[in-house]
Amino acid sequence: MLDLFIKTVTQGLIYALLSYGIYITYKILDFPDLTVDGSFPLGAAVTAVLITNGVNPYLTLVIAMAIGAVAGLCTGIIHVKLHVRDLLAGIITMTALFSINLQIAGANMSLLGSDTIFSLLPLGDMGLIYRKLLVSFVLVLIFKFVLDLYFKTKNGLLLRGTGDNENVITTLAIDSGNMKILGLVIANAFVALCGAIVCQEQRAFSATMGTGQMVFGLAAVIIGTTLFKRFSFVKGTTCAVMGSIIYKTCIQAALSAGLPANLLKLITAVLFLLILIVGSIGHKGEARS
Amino acid sequence: MKKTLAVIISVIMIMTLVFSACSKEDGESGEGATYKIGISQYAEHESLDNCRIGFIDGLKEAGLVEGEDFEIIYQNAGADDNMTLQIAQSLVSQNVDLLCGIATNSAIALYAEAEETDIPVVFTAISDPVQAKLDSGNVTGTSDKLPVEAQLKLIRALQPEAKTIGIIYTTSEPNSVSTIADYESLADQYGFTIEALGVTSQAEVTQAVDTLINKGIDCFSNLTDNNVVNVLPAILEMTNEAGIPVYGSEIEQVVKGCVASAGIDYYQLGIKTGMMAAQILTGEKEASEMPYETIEESETYINSDAAEALEIAIPAEILETATECSD
Repeated sequence: MLDLFIKTVTQGLIYALLSYGIYITYKILDFPDLTVDGSFPLGAAVTAVLITNGVNPYLTLVIAMAIGAVAGLCTGIIHVKLHVRDLLAGIITMTALFSINLQIAGANMSLLGSDTIFSLLPLGDMGLIYRKLLVSFVLVLIFKFVLDLYFKTKNGLLLRGTGDNENVITTLAIDSGNMKILGLVIANAFVALCGAIVCQEQRAFSATMGTGQMVFGLAAVIIGTTLFKRFSFVKGTTCAVMGSIIYKTCIQAALSAGLPANLLKLITAVLFLLILIVGSIGHKGEARS
Repeated sequence: MKKTLAVIISVIMIMTLVFSACSKEDGESGEGATYKIGISQYAEHESLDNCRIGFIDGLKEAGLVEGEDFEIIYQNAGADDNMTLQIAQSLVSQNVDLLCGIATNSAIALYAEAEETDIPVVFTAISDPVQAKLDSGNVTGTSDKLPVEAQLKLIRALQPEAKTIGIIYTTSEPNSVSTIADYESLADQYGFTIEALGVTSQAEVTQAVDTLINKGIDCFSNLTDNNVVNVLPAILEMTNEAGIPVYGSEIEQVVKGCVASAGIDYYQLGIKTGMMAAQILTGEKEASEMPYETIEESETYINSDAAEALEIAIPAEILETATECSD
């Protein structure tokens, strides 16, 4: 049971990288970015093809991030420069990426038998479970600190300002459109990175693996921020990580409960609702006192 | 920083409690030689359901009794790729004696998760186990490669004049993509050309039907493509109006109104898989020593009512051996 617990936390940590992306677009920029459903499998497709061609798995992460950033750039340009509505801009890129992903990696690819970022680490006899936990924990922690530092820089503050009050940013003689594009670029780099790591973890790419990732990310960020908003010292990035872990735990709890397979999604939905209710009750109580 | 850590640790502790609460029921199943079998099925789908039922019946046919000799833990990913791995993790952690993966994505996830354990994996309903890299290791199973050649022969027998076969498939379904390649390489031998049209979602299928009818194809041939099979009634309504026959890929489609099919019986495929699993469980054979198997002989299914409505004459020698599916 400890193994399952570790695996579930690992899942949550890996997907936390995607939550970072959604945190930037949804929470900071207030931009419902559907590109995610396309850039997630894009990262996976790129990593799958590169690994089967013998490229170092760590290097594939960097390349996946760069290509994910380009996907974000496309959505940004479509929205800001071509004046297409935010939701539709994301849908356009996502739709295009579906075909592009098929071109890159086909309908699916198996990485069984190839080395991954987890198996390559020189850690001796350490089991795969602990390798996965370690690698994902370190990556999540590094990027958390990088993002937290970035949000404190001038550029980071401008990005946060763009979501809060665009007019203020414009009066500072800063192009808020460019800030939005930058946010989308960073966010989709994270999403593609997550896709690349997930692909190496489950050792398979599938063209449909992106379906529902934006919904997952939104749920994770909202669960995280709802539960931890009263602790002012908890940073947004930490909320995103915790939300992601809680989401994956809910699914695993529903699976482990041994209920009929068809009820899985319903149980998960009820668990989310309970968490959100509990979170907001506690918050109200505190506000009254 | 300290406070953040405190929050993280307290959340982890709470979740440990949740898990231990959930896992209590697992404790009781330690007695006797009851084999625990974990089944991970990719989607809710008639063919795949038949595979699962066949798998369980195959175990019974090999002399094992459900509830006494084996118990089944069944999970379904609901066609969600991200669920397949979590299901695999859940099943592996329940210390099952054997894992059964139904359809490619579920099987790969099971094998990836079980690789470090000594749990054997048995798969079924995979068109191309070599491409899925499930052809070596502590894993074996059965492939549902469609008997394309038999299907082409059947279409030739029922429609001697036909030239073009229209096929609609989903570009993201691995089974469909590999079967299309088979069709294209074999069509020439039987004097057919293939008009294959790829779609990305279920909503596009009926549009694709219209496109192909306009191109003047002589018949449709179905794969085991989920998106296409799921809207088969709508397709049949359109093709019947246009007077174009549709050939299915397995029995369920012919029951629904396709003219005929040279297909495999997914229930039989499941039974074969179940019997292989029984050999592994009882220690008779090791999964790593067993090559994956395919069903060589195809079954022919016909629907006389549908054929009659389209004025298609079914040759007597086919009628003799075929299974009649009309009611």
